[in-house]
Amino acid sequence: MGVDIGNATTEVAIGKIEAEQEFNFIAEGEHQTTGLKGTEENIKGIMNALQQAVQEADLKLEDLDLIRLNEATPVIGDVAMETITETIITESTMIGHNPSTPGGVGLGVGKTVMITELDSCSAGEEVIVVIPAEIDFAIAAENINEGLARGIEVNGAIVQKDDAVLIANRIDKQMPIVDEVKFIDKVPLDRKAAVEVASSGGTIQELTNPYGIATVFDLDADETKHIVPVARSLIGNHSAVVIRTPQGDIEEKRIPAGKIIAFGESGKEKIAVDQGAEEIMKSIEKVQPLKDVKGESGTNVSGMLERVRSKMKQVTGQNLSDIKIKDILAVDTFVPQEVKGGLAGEHSLENAVGLAAMVETSQLPMQQIADALVQELPEVEIEIAGVEANMAISGALTTPGTDKPIVILDMGGGSTDAAVLTQEGNIHTAHLSGAGNMVSMIIETELGLEDFDLAERIKKTPLAKVESMFNIRHEDGTVHFYDEPLAPQLFSKVVSLDEGELVPIPTDHSMKRIRQVRRDAKKDVFVRNAVRALKRTIPTGNIRDIGFVVMVGGSALDFEIPELISNELSNYGVVAGRGNIRGMMGPRNAVATGLVLSYLNNPRWN
Amino acid sequence: MQTSVDKKLEFSEIGVAEKGKSSDEVVIGIAPGFGKHLTKTIIDLDHATVLRELMAGIEEEGLKSRVVRMYQTADVGFVGHAAAQLSGSGISIGLQSKGTALIHQKDLAPLENLELFPQAPLLDPETYRAIGKNAARYAKGETPKPVPTRNDQMARPKYQATAAVMHIKEVEHLDSEIDTGIEEEVEFK
Repeated sequence: MGVDIGNATTEVAIGKIEAEQEFNFIAEGEHQTTGLKGTEENIKGIMNALQQAVQEADLKLEDLDLIRLNEATPVIGDVAMETITETIITESTMIGHNPSTPGGVGLGVGKTVMITELDSCSAGEEVIVVIPAEIDFAIAAENINEGLARGIEVNGAIVQKDDAVLIANRIDKQMPIVDEVKFIDKVPLDRKAAVEVASSGGTIQELTNPYGIATVFDLDADETKHIVPVARSLIGNHSAVVIRTPQGDIEEKRIPAGKIIAFGESGKEKIAVDQGAEEIMKSIEKVQPLKDVKGESGTNVSGMLERVRSKMKQVTGQNLSDIKIKDILAVDTFVPQEVKGGLAGEHSLENAVGLAAMVETSQLPMQQIADALVQELPEVEIEIAGVEANMAISGALTTPGTDKPIVILDMGGGSTDAAVLTQEGNIHTAHLSGAGNMVSMIIETELGLEDFDLAERIKKTPLAKVESMFNIRHEDGTVHFYDEPLAPQLFSKVVSLDEGELVPIPTDHSMKRIRQVRRDAKKDVFVRNAVRALKRTIPTGNIRDIGFVVMVGGSALDFEIPELISNELSNYGVVAGRGNIRGMMGPRNAVATGLVLSYLNNPRWN
Repeated sequence: MQTSVDKKLEFSEIGVAEKGKSSDEVVIGIAPGFGKHLTKTIIDLDHATVLRELMAGIEEEGLKSRVVRMYQTADVGFVGHAAAQLSGSGISIGLQSKGTALIHQKDLAPLENLELFPQAPLLDPETYRAIGKNAARYAKGETPKPVPTRNDQMARPKYQATAAVMHIKEVEHLDSEIDTGIEEEVEFK
């Protein structure tokens, strides 16, 4: 019997020696790992998985002769997110939010005037009216019409309530109207302003062009330079307002996020987190192999790295100073955040860096687990056998169609592990940070979910949109019809397909956007790690020198990760695919199987 | 300057309501007494305001509204269900005189709904505007977040008697001889 305790799942396999040197696998079991991997809390999960397996084999626990535990790799990963930019609007110069229903169309320029003061304007004056919430849409429209009749050039409107279309439908002239401006009392009055609304389906053209803004406000070359960030921040909007104020400005500020110090065998690299993922990864590669990574003290990065360390200390009981961070994966992402100083509660996508760190210690206290297991099962002999990577390779080789030289990619929740078995029978391994949990974190922040479980669900399942009570459209465009009407709460929702069950996703992101974020996150983490892992484990460093890549572990069960990696690796002429342990287990049970198989090679028992 | 409107609701019957053909419409089904025999909701909100806000919400989203009066039932679920069958988009709003409302879809059973607003005493003009907007957004195939509603445990004991009386009044105007919805033209004067 082989028992493999993983970060997320505990797997077992029972084998029976039928003939000389020949194993027959008779049962498997799996259970969620209880507690942190490598602690005595694991016993409960092990016992559950064992029970499941012996029941399947129609045996009793006492019938087992030997239980072999894996020598688990002492690797634990953790993830964190660091926002590195913020957008600040000073002096209320622009309103760049995207109300879902602005009114009218076109570009209007004029002086900002409160609608109640429209009476005091004279004929021929060009104005933009400001309409606060207490004014009913019908009355606002009436007033605008009266003004127009008196010859006042009303060229646009800024509205507090969601009334733009209602007003546009009731006035005698077509003009752009921007609504849902939350803090309308902060709109400066008696200033020149430009309002633009794009035609439906389009985006604004004039206010996103620095020269367009310069034309409207008569700016000189120097002033035009200053207006560039305003124009840039409005790109992609359906409507916008720009108001000219003396000191008005908008800036994108970089937040000092601290420095990472990477200690490698070939030297030391210091890199600021706000340089972005690309630069961080370059620095890390430069000093490979890593000895340790530290954060600049007193910064958020340092806090995060210390948290990983202290978690590992609890598990192993080792000194903090003996626990080293052996890998870091940085990924660029976006975090939607409210713009400081915005008048309409605008959000902008700020740059952020996601970090996954991985810690390696000398050893996990597996002997304690073995001792505790003896208490539970006094009749059975229990031993700790084999290094995890070797066991995994031995298990993975039972996948039909594989041969040496082979690489296994073990993609779990906390780390991505790779092991290579060369033609000569040598084994090299690498442990990389960043796996399933990091993907979930990126999905959570980029979609602004604030719900990790929801992010996990989005990660694991394909999407569909409920188009009517009787049909859904899958994310690949195919339609599925139902004979019975669907539940009312699913109507018009984007849903996740969890084994045929439709579960609504409570956000207003489109299916297309959620899919994009999900796939990009998986590419950023897994495809990147697959390439990194291969480069590190293959002795020649050339991916083309390897024939087979077998993906195992929980994330290999994912519906698209293996496909994304296969795609990338086919560029190198490598056969890559999801493992199928013993031709029947899929990517699961590799280590447990390897533990059973390696028993035959153990001289003590032969 | 005047800021709010104080308008009277005027109905004129057009005739038997037909099933709509345009997919950009939302049908508002009203119970028999609405705005005619009864003119205020359970918290004295003018029916004119309620209907105007619902219609404004639909219009702001770029859709059209129709108003159909039902005579066979005063139950908000059945009113909404019947209205949904007449709606070109398949989306309707059901509305009772006391103010209770729901959003319905044509393929749902009468007692199901997309969104239900059962506590009429807590429904204010802003909520009716939001209900109109959401109904229109369902009709557009969008995924609106449900209208946030409050919940007041005291509403039930406090208003139960009034609600019963209002319902009795509403039911008085049922007419079993009119077995179709009647299309109404609405004016705010």
